[in-house]
Amino acid sequence: MTVVLKVEDLWKSYKKNEVLRGVTFSVNEGETKVIIGPSGTGKSTLLRCINLLVRPDKGRIFLDGEEITRPGINEARVRSRIGFVFQHFNLFLHLTALENVMLGLTKVKGMPKEKAEEAAKKALLSVGITEDLWHKYPAQLSGGQKQRVAIARAIAMNPRLILFDEPTSALDPELIGEVLKVMEKLAKEGMTMLVVTHEIGFAMKVADEVMFMDGGRIIERGPPQEVILRPKNERTRRFLSRIWELYDLGVRG
Amino acid sequence: MALTVWDYLPVIFSGITNTLILTLAGVGLGFALGIPMAFAEVLGPRPVQLAIRWVGRVIRGIPLLVLLFIIFFGFPNIGITLPPIPSAILAIGIRSAAYQAQLFRGAVEGVGYGQLEAALSIGLTRWGAFRHVILPQALRLAIPGWVNEFTIVLKDTSLAYAIGVTEVFTQAVHVAQVILDYLTPLLVVAAIYFTITFTASRLAESVYRRVSVPGLGGGAAL
Repeated sequence: MTVVLKVEDLWKSYKKNEVLRGVTFSVNEGETKVIIGPSGTGKSTLLRCINLLVRPDKGRIFLDGEEITRPGINEARVRSRIGFVFQHFNLFLHLTALENVMLGLTKVKGMPKEKAEEAAKKALLSVGITEDLWHKYPAQLSGGQKQRVAIARAIAMNPRLILFDEPTSALDPELIGEVLKVMEKLAKEGMTMLVVTHEIGFAMKVADEVMFMDGGRIIERGPPQEVILRPKNERTRRFLSRIWELYDLGVRG
Repeated sequence: MALTVWDYLPVIFSGITNTLILTLAGVGLGFALGIPMAFAEVLGPRPVQLAIRWVGRVIRGIPLLVLLFIIFFGFPNIGITLPPIPSAILAIGIRSAAYQAQLFRGAVEGVGYGQLEAALSIGLTRWGAFRHVILPQALRLAIPGWVNEFTIVLKDTSLAYAIGVTEVFTQAVHVAQVILDYLTPLLVVAAIYFTITFTASRLAESVYRRVSVPGLGGGAAL
């Protein structure tokens, strides 16, 4: 089994606030790993370290066996191989849906315009964004459509791995489903994914492993049936019971 | 019969060309310097950020007339002698650059960190992110402020009078001295400044509407 991402003893603090305290894990090709945990426990920082938007204080990260945290690495090249889906979509506001997906293809991959357009349309269709929406600006799209365009923007680059930072947290409840469905399909098609989310249902269905983070550490990990339904750690249990109360999914084991 | 201001109108009008040259070249130089300054001030390495910030502060802290005299009367001391018009353009351009850098810095910051993160995350370099994502949005946000800067520069070109550039204000004063009437020529020149300012604003408004994108500050009046 090919290891796509390996994170080794990652530490990061902002002033006196220790956000990451020795995080270690890896993701194999085609796997979907889900990170859950209370807010402010370093989940977002962890993802931002992986695509080099944030520099860790200590620890190493490997992408396809290559250390990407070493000094002098070409950050832009690394990032072009890692997709990132943001909580607040961050679509380029001055570009249409189609242009949003094309930008990386033409300006980063240097594809000719016609080829980029073709690839972008394919990516958009794969997330259910049909022709009538291609020339709309982000402000003219619903939250769910925006996030699916953002996912298409990531997919189109043909990345080794896609990072999702609470991709449904900013969505109206009725729009969450369409985004999760796209992510589920992506996982089934073999995309390697690392997902920070509170969507326990998604984790149950799709995750190969669930990691529970608290206080800058991964304090529990395992198959979703274990971690979500029979958590061993007291803090995991407390966190999950709050989530269950909120969603009342009624499938508690 | 004594000559009136109407007989001298062509003389006043003949100064418009130089006024426009000073304005366009000054604003243009300010833009050419202001954009990279704004980029460096927001996205550059820390020491560069600080250096640019201080250069801007110092220039904004000097009256334009003083800057003009330093360049025209002072620079010959260090071996740089410039004719009046290039001196005026340089002074006006440098001053405008310091203000335009502020204007674009505000606009760049207004675009937001999320856009930069997204641009970087698809693999663009910092410059690429600025060029393809931040700048196109920042320019749109900056248009109203930029029109304001343009009109300020236009009006400040009248200071070139002090180093003998024959722009529209200089001509009006000369006419006034000949016909011994200051009021009418100066009202004429005031009307000329207003007309150019007003036209530029209308023009900018139509540009603003044309490039506006839903959700990106389009349509607001200037």
